[in-house]
Amino acid sequence: MINSMTIWLTIIGMALVTYLTRAPALFALRGEVAPWLRRWLSYVPVAVFTALILPPLLLQTEHDVPQLAFGPALPAGIVGALVAWRGGNVLLTIAAGLVTFWALRWLGM
Amino acid sequence: MIFSEQAVAHQPASHRRDFRAGFVAMLPLWLGAAPFGVIYAVTALEAGLTPLQTLAMSLLVFAGASQFTAAGLFASGVAPLTIVITTLIINLRHVLLAASLAPYLRRAPAWFKALLAFQITDESYAVGTRAFLDGSGSPAYQFGANMSMYVIWPISTALGIALGSFLPDTAAYGLDLVFPLTFIALLVPLLRERVSVLVAVVAGVLTLGGALLLPGKWYILLAGIVASGVGAWLARTDERVTR
Repeated sequence: MINSMTIWLTIIGMALVTYLTRAPALFALRGEVAPWLRRWLSYVPVAVFTALILPPLLLQTEHDVPQLAFGPALPAGIVGALVAWRGGNVLLTIAAGLVTFWALRWLGM
Repeated sequence: MIFSEQAVAHQPASHRRDFRAGFVAMLPLWLGAAPFGVIYAVTALEAGLTPLQTLAMSLLVFAGASQFTAAGLFASGVAPLTIVITTLIINLRHVLLAASLAPYLRRAPAWFKALLAFQITDESYAVGTRAFLDGSGSPAYQFGANMSMYVIWPISTALGIALGSFLPDTAAYGLDLVFPLTFIALLVPLLRERVSVLVAVVAGVLTLGGALLLPGKWYILLAGIVASGVGAWLARTDERVTR
C-alpha cells in the first residue's frame, strides 16, 4: 500500500492538473471573440449534451470493454425526450424517464 | 469599465437572485450525484485512503469520474505520476466546457473567473450554459449551479465515509439515469433548429464510435469539437447564430 504522504501529494497533483483543465480557457478569450469561433462554441452545448446522453442509454461496460446494449435505459430516455419535446422541464423529464425505467424493470425487461 | 450608479446599486441583489436560481436549478441533479458520492467514498476507503484524504479529494479535485478512476488505481498500486496523468486525460474535456463558457464570462473579473473555474462540472456546465443560451443566464447563475454541485458532492462523500460499506445499488433504481435524462431535457428544446439537429446527429455517431473504439472519455472531446465545428461550418452564412 502506498504511504499516506504519497497519497496526499498525488491528490494535490490531481487537483492541480484538474484546475489546469478548467481555468486557462476561461481566461484565453478576452475582448471580442471572432465570429467563426463564437459560432463554433455556440454549437458545443448540443454536441457535448449528445455525447453525455448516449453512452448511459446505449452502452454497457463488461470487463472494462464498452458494448452496445439495449435495456430499459433506452426506452426511458426516449420517453424522457418525448416529455421534453412537449415542453416538459428537467424534473418532469427525469420523473417520466425513471417511471418508464421502473415499469420496464417491473415487467421483467 | 463604467457602470451607471443605478446599475451598480442594482447589482448585488440581482447577483444573489441569479446565484440562488442557478443553485436551485441543480437540485434535481442531487438525486444523481448523491449515490455516486457515496459509492466513490466507499471505493476510495477500500483502496486505502483515509477518510480525510477521501473527503479532501472531493473538495480539491472535485471531478467524479477521475476520482473513481484514481481510487481504482490507488487500489492496484499504480505509480502516483500515472494517477495524475490519467486524471489530466479524463478531465481534458473541461477545456472544451470552459471555452464554451468563456464568451459569456468575458466581462467578469479575473478573481471571479479563477473561482468559478474551480467548480466546472459536466452537470453545472449543462445547466448554466442552457440558461446562457436562453438569455436567462449570468456569471452568478453559473456560479450558483457550480456551487450546488460543490455542496452535494462533499456531503455525499462524507455520507459514504459515515455509512462505510453500505453500497446503494444505483443501477437497480435507475438513479444513474438522472444525469442523461437531465441532459435530454436540456438538449431537446435546442433541436428546433435544423443545424442543431445535424450537430446532434454527427455528435451521436462520433460518440458511439468513439466510446466503442477509443479509450476513456476521449469521445466527449471528439464529438464536442468536431460536431460543433460541422455546425459552425453549416451555419457559416447564417448571421442569426452569431450572437
